[in-house]
Amino acid sequence: MLVLARKVGQSIVINDNIEILVIEVRGDQVRLGIEAPRTIPVHRKELLEQIRAENVNAATDTDVETVAKVLNDLTFD
Amino acid sequence: MKVQTSRFGEIEVEDSSVIRMPRGPVGFEQYTQFVAVEHRPDTDFHWLQSTEEPSLAFVVVDPSKFYTDYEVEISDADAEKLGLASEDDASVMVVVSVAKGGEEITANLAAPVVINMKEMLGLQVILQDNRYPIKHPLVAIIQKCAEKTEQTTVKAA
Repeated sequence: MLVLARKVGQSIVINDNIEILVIEVRGDQVRLGIEAPRTIPVHRKELLEQIRAENVNAATDTDVETVAKVLNDLTFD
Repeated sequence: MKVQTSRFGEIEVEDSSVIRMPRGPVGFEQYTQFVAVEHRPDTDFHWLQSTEEPSLAFVVVDPSKFYTDYEVEISDADAEKLGLASEDDASVMVVVSVAKGGEEITANLAAPVVINMKEMLGLQVILQDNRYPIKHPLVAIIQKCAEKTEQTTVKAA
């Protein structure tokens, strides 16, 4: 992993089209400004991990019998 | 084509009904082909069954059935991956988790599956809007619906 020290107002440029600017440092929190092409997805990592975990739950804990028991014949109308 | 599934046995599906994902669901990125299997006729729930992995299937539901002002704003990048020219071609489903033997039923509103029905291309998109929870509880609304269904049945009888 490349480790760089930056001060507030300084930034990092990745691949000439992504810029990450350190906006503010307060205690243990850092505010970053990210400028990237709209085609580059930017997400908080913990959100991605939560969605991954939820997908794993949905795919593995869900068996046909349980679903049948709770959802059978059910419509929201 | 024939699809092997661990839940439904071998099923026969039309090639044209296969949904291709440029990137598989989050955590299952390598699985890129799914078919929608009706949970039962007349229910709002479907299974999104992988054609590549027999044991991989998600319960999905149309969120507009229980959430009235759900707005999916997808990025240009995702729209491009889906070949989506008009929102009229898009169908939105959310992944349902059924846990603890059915005591906990939640829908993931933070990462809906958007399908371009014209091209049969699908993608699980991650919304930037943090209004929408990963675990939106469905148990209460499902019970309400079940009661309603019961009442209707009683009335009919």
